[in-house]
Amino acid sequence: MMGAERRTSMAERRPSTLNQSSFSMERRASSVVVPHLAGIEDPLPDTTPDKVDVVVVGTGLVESILAAALAWQGSNVLHIDSNSYYGDTSATLTIDQLKQWVQDVNQGSLKCYENAKLHISSVVGRGSYKSRDFGIDLSPKILFAKSDLLSILLKSRVHQYLEFQSLSSFHTYENDSFERLTNTKQEIFTNPSLPLMTKRSLMKFIKFVLDWENQQEVWASYRDKPITSFLVNKFKLERAQVYELIFSIGLCYNIDVKTPEALQRIRRYLTSFDVYGPFPVLYSKYGGPGELSQGFCRSAAVAGATYKLNETLVSYDPESKTAIFGDGSRVTVTEKVVAAPTQCPKNSRNVPEQMFEVQRLTCVVDKPCLEWFGEGEYAAVVVFPPGSLKSGNRQAVQALIMGAGSDVCPAGSSVWYLTSTESGPRGEMDLDAAFGALEESIIRESSADIENDSGILEVDTSGHFTLNSVKLGQSFKEHISGESIQVLVKLYYKQLTSTPPFEVVDPSIFDVNDPADGVHKKLIPGASDNGVLYTALPSAEISYDEAVTAARVLFQRIVGSDDDFFDLDFEDEDDTDQMNESAVVDDEDDRMDIGLNAEMSVEPVEFAGEMEI
Amino acid sequence: MGWVKSPIHKRAHQNKRYNTATMLQFKLVLLGDSSVGKSSIVHRFVKDSFDEFRESTIGAAFLSQTIKLEKHPDVTIKFEIWDTAGQERYKSLAPMYYRNANAALIVYDVTQPGSLVKAQSWVEELKNKVGDQDLVICLAGNKVDICDEDATAREVQREDAQLYAQEQGLLFYETSAKTGAGVSAIFQEIGERVYQKKGMEVPSSTQARKPLNVELQRPSTNDSTSCCS
Repeated sequence: MMGAERRTSMAERRPSTLNQSSFSMERRASSVVVPHLAGIEDPLPDTTPDKVDVVVVGTGLVESILAAALAWQGSNVLHIDSNSYYGDTSATLTIDQLKQWVQDVNQGSLKCYENAKLHISSVVGRGSYKSRDFGIDLSPKILFAKSDLLSILLKSRVHQYLEFQSLSSFHTYENDSFERLTNTKQEIFTNPSLPLMTKRSLMKFIKFVLDWENQQEVWASYRDKPITSFLVNKFKLERAQVYELIFSIGLCYNIDVKTPEALQRIRRYLTSFDVYGPFPVLYSKYGGPGELSQGFCRSAAVAGATYKLNETLVSYDPESKTAIFGDGSRVTVTEKVVAAPTQCPKNSRNVPEQMFEVQRLTCVVDKPCLEWFGEGEYAAVVVFPPGSLKSGNRQAVQALIMGAGSDVCPAGSSVWYLTSTESGPRGEMDLDAAFGALEESIIRESSADIENDSGILEVDTSGHFTLNSVKLGQSFKEHISGESIQVLVKLYYKQLTSTPPFEVVDPSIFDVNDPADGVHKKLIPGASDNGVLYTALPSAEISYDEAVTAARVLFQRIVGSDDDFFDLDFEDEDDTDQMNESAVVDDEDDRMDIGLNAEMSVEPVEFAGEMEI
Repeated sequence: MGWVKSPIHKRAHQNKRYNTATMLQFKLVLLGDSSVGKSSIVHRFVKDSFDEFRESTIGAAFLSQTIKLEKHPDVTIKFEIWDTAGQERYKSLAPMYYRNANAALIVYDVTQPGSLVKAQSWVEELKNKVGDQDLVICLAGNKVDICDEDATAREVQREDAQLYAQEQGLLFYETSAKTGAGVSAIFQEIGERVYQKKGMEVPSSTQARKPLNVELQRPSTNDSTSCCS
């Protein structure tokens, strides 16, 4: 029920804080939270708790952020996952794990996924390539330098568990070639191919969009109209620029996107630019959301949450507030059971409808693809706008390319993550067409090294798999006149979600059948999951933008308010120390400020100056 | 193209600054079954060193503790100590935990029968998870203070553990987190070994992977050296 009394936070429960009599008054005033260190301040209990505040089922990114937020707020959290690894729908998998995952999907034991097809080259798993040399993300994501998730990573210090690298290369595919994005004032001015008029229009638009919300008079009449009409009519932009703004900068999926949504997304890119350097986006090394999930789970554990992999929820009874698990153990839940739809109990009847499709094609190819990356970088985004592919795609296909320098694949190879929101067989055709275009392009660009490609691909044993591997190799060769790239791994799958493309989670899916909840629905007799709060699965969104919103809404549902959502601040000096180390360089910095983000302010950061040893 | 290098691309040159004194940062992970006293050992280490070295800090992400090597007074080692935070209880440690570890401290309880066998399975687990051949592993038999008071309490013989450690090429100590016996010696020895293996190739693996990384605490717009806006 809403308005539950605020529980004491972790900081207030610390023995050291409790010794000070006036902690509760102090806390609000200073809001300084001292880290609690599980197992150091108080020894960990030896047994599974028999009573917890919240059970979280599934260690996907949203669930993991939620678990950390709850644990730091002071809730007693039991966090389980039916898999032997962290991440659930956000997982980063090795090849062996991926094989098992595909099998599970095709046996129907993994909900919310369909039609998984995996091809693995015979060279993988033998000699040169080990299974664990690969880290394949089930929902690849990029992190905007100015975003809610980034703030929370810093606040929670989860960023210290992770390594981040920059991504500055955004390509738009047009007329069978890649156009490098012209995304800075600097470049707009110096780009010889842009007519003067276009330059002026673009500059005018960029200036506007950074503050678009406060200029309603400019866009109000376009509120329900597509962004294209707005850009063409109001700013006299040419098609090429319109497409770049919508698809590469805005990372939208189709041409019909409404003006305010597109403006929001275009601004997201521009304000993120130059926060950490001349790039808008970061990604975490070794894997994306899978790494972040692990980081948030560890953070939750440090705050006292209990972790149990290989554990399933069997049922929850909202009347007796008892949750029963696969190993026979049971726990009394004082507040809520939150579960990912992928890990719902058997005989569940309350899982929200997952009506939107995300189709993915993930490949590992034996090309480093350095041609596509910015200097000193190991990743790029390639966007195929509607109509740019041979398949006549109606929706954009977005490709995230990760090189070996990001440590998700062996040296000399790269991972191509292709995503489409197109439904049905068309989606797969679009993905294939985009793959073909990428392949042609990289061969053209790196034509020097023609490799003798045996093209022998091994069929995975999981059934449901149609493509003949040898034929696949042959068709590549015909397609591009004798040259080919060797595909080490090729994986198709369809993921379902309740979140439409573009939107964040709809809070109404959290209206559950719980007599204790404000929302009164009938309990479904015989259902094993009455009263269970289901999370939303990742959408096609390429950024992390939805994850924090989803976690925050759930947090509010459970705690009654989101005031304490990652309301923490660590008192030690570690930051200053870290800052010292990283602040060593820069004094002869010749980087030019291109002035796109004058209003920028990110996390409060003290600049610590020179390092002394 | 006119891409101007960001600060991160320059980090490679920063090691010049470390010429006079060497500061090395290493990741150390704790392993062992629940309630063998892993955290207590670290707590003791951090507490005892606290007054001695001002840089000692406790962060929520992991513990940081800086020591000077006795044999190389110009070398400072900063340990980034990762506690299991209880995630070992149900074998739920994430790959992230093991990644890029330079050293591991595997703890067992000398008063617990079979506790050395469990420590051995953690050694196996570790060797499976961490590819690095240069990993320094230290085996520690904790709670010897109990045996000092009551000799019959000992369930794991020192000789058995020592023999196993020798076979596996592990460092070996018996410790008491309660009295502090053996604790600082462990970290000195680990620091020394890691320095011998990694320090010579400065920048070490931990340092070398940093150049391309973006430091999230440091937005470039807050950089005082930014020229114009």
